[in-house]
Amino acid sequence: MDFSVLTDQFASLTFDGIALGFIYVLIALGYTMVYGVLRLINFANSEVFMLGSFATILVATKLFNHTIESDPLTGFKLVYTMTAMLVGAMIVSGVASVIIEIVAYRRLRSRTSNRLTSLISAIGVSIVLAEAVRMATSSAPMGSPRLLDKTILATVWGADIRVDTLLVIVFAIILLIVLDLFVNKSRLGMGIRAVSMDYDTSRLMGINLNKIISTTFLIGGLGTGAASFFYITVYEMTRFSIGFELGLAAFTAAVLGGIGNIRGAFAGGIALGLIEMYASAVLGTQWRSITAFVILILVLLFKPNGIFGESLQQARV
Amino acid sequence: MNKKIKASAAIVAALALSLGAFAANTASAATTVKIAYQGPLTGPEAQTGTDSIRGVKLAIKIYNATNPAVKVEIFEGDDQGDDAQGGTVGAGIAADDAVIGVLTAYSGPTIAALPSYKAKGIAIVSPSATRASLTDPTSKDYGNPVFHRIVSNDDLQGPALARVATNGVKDPTVFVVDDQSSYSVGLTKAVKLALGTAFQAGDSAAKGAVSDFSATIAKIKKEKANVVIYTGYYADGAKFLKQLRDKGYKGVYAAGDGVLNSQFPKLAGKKQSEGARLTAPTVPLEVASPKITAMFKKDFKADPGVYTTEAFDATNIFLQGIKAGKTTRADMLAYLNSASFSYKNTAGITIKFQESGDLSGSGLMNQFVVKGGTIKLNGKA
Repeated sequence: MDFSVLTDQFASLTFDGIALGFIYVLIALGYTMVYGVLRLINFANSEVFMLGSFATILVATKLFNHTIESDPLTGFKLVYTMTAMLVGAMIVSGVASVIIEIVAYRRLRSRTSNRLTSLISAIGVSIVLAEAVRMATSSAPMGSPRLLDKTILATVWGADIRVDTLLVIVFAIILLIVLDLFVNKSRLGMGIRAVSMDYDTSRLMGINLNKIISTTFLIGGLGTGAASFFYITVYEMTRFSIGFELGLAAFTAAVLGGIGNIRGAFAGGIALGLIEMYASAVLGTQWRSITAFVILILVLLFKPNGIFGESLQQARV
Repeated sequence: MNKKIKASAAIVAALALSLGAFAANTASAATTVKIAYQGPLTGPEAQTGTDSIRGVKLAIKIYNATNPAVKVEIFEGDDQGDDAQGGTVGAGIAADDAVIGVLTAYSGPTIAALPSYKAKGIAIVSPSATRASLTDPTSKDYGNPVFHRIVSNDDLQGPALARVATNGVKDPTVFVVDDQSSYSVGLTKAVKLALGTAFQAGDSAAKGAVSDFSATIAKIKKEKANVVIYTGYYADGAKFLKQLRDKGYKGVYAAGDGVLNSQFPKLAGKKQSEGARLTAPTVPLEVASPKITAMFKKDFKADPGVYTTEAFDATNIFLQGIKAGKTTRADMLAYLNSASFSYKNTAGITIKFQESGDLSGSGLMNQFVVKGGTIKLNGKA
């Protein structure tokens, strides 16, 4: 136990914890959206993240011919390249997510109402994707060129506010607001909420279920793709096993906030980021996951549906 | 479609026939023996196994290209770096009568497989098993008479790493970060012991499970450490170093052989990795022999890894024995254990074994420094 590090480095740890938390939030969206609609834990979402992270790097290295030793870009070229990387990651993750839905879940859904088969199928897809990438990359990590220089914009109470972490926070907030508006205000969003509330009744009301479900997977995938882009921008490295590491954390965040609830994912992600950072500092990094899970269990003891409760229902979203 | 299948079936059949005929021909003209490699070829440790077995394959390819009387084949034994699987894989290797020597990668699986190799008298030359107990006569893991290794053991690396890390640093305050793997925990123990009072504090970040080292770095800043030692492997070590430098740390960064990988400076960044100090009982193939490195890159379209040179050398030790006519298990073992045995390795150093299976002499421990994005040999540690 070393509480002095907390007082000594508090602002720094808090800022880093929030930035990490926002990456968790974006991945957690993939779990939460699908769970809200299908009551299914889409375990393959972690590999959607992994694919997105590779896509981000490949756009930079193959499309724009940057190497790992390239110098940081500036001005219009920087914005242009980064946008392309973000869009590339989102497209790859979104498409992968929709394909996974069609291949692994849709047929099972029409044939059986047993959710357990879908769960096994989800784990299967996850293993297939991770192993395929492992073989394709010979288990080696892939580094990203540093295109956005990590300029320190300001120092607040000893914490460095860096441009890359600030970018994550700002963009994640924008994405969350857009998503919240979409689910609450748009026609498709209304459909998603209807399916989430009552599967059978919404089908009777003439809602095209498969379309709604595909849209949900697409949105979850796009959010996860954005998360992978931000992850690479900050940490600049990925490997085949990254999905497991980040996916588990994001899933924990989703459960902590209340799975199926977008605002819950937000609260859970930030909370988890901070808990991990403080626990690592005070107890040692080896206690990070243990602390996070102990807190998760305690929260679930008192609020079994997470901080914000389950489901994507109208009032809560 | 049907036609295509038929056509390809015909081709396959023809190939099989010709290959069979070829095999029959060579079998009558020359005998074939096998050298086995036991190590992680799949699973999370696969990188180490892949880097090593390529060294084995290259050595055998070069040897077979000289049209020798006795051809050599490879036996690939995949233990996933897992102790539990080591025993089974070892028994499988020992059951193949053509195998006259084996290279074992990791210490744990080597120990698990030892009974099989001892029972059949198969010589081991390990390129990378560094656990001290394997050559300790008082230990139950003692590998005599079959076990030999061409790397120094962990007892030597800890003090060397502590020495290299603090070299030239006035009032060193050292922060040690391990990755909780058994290799890392062992090395950390030896490093802390050698550091004595210079050791200030430490942290453990599980291998492959931590993306963000901010908390560890916050602690390093709080302790005002001017030397940071990382005892894990290169992927995490690079990630950690990059974040450390980006957060303004100006002191020494040092690490052990787990970090010695050509990818390390690339992943950590040219600027961030500059001046990083490494120790290892190994020599990178790029340093040992640019010529063989070129052949390696041509064959595998990849860079050599940590123990590629040692795997290449360990294989060549067996090949040297085969050239000297030692084509049975008993002859090969007696050859390696004879007092007259010596081998000149790729880096040009002459190797002899002690009775325990360790290298003669003080053992090899090198230090390296990262300059301009590449790892450069910086003499003995």
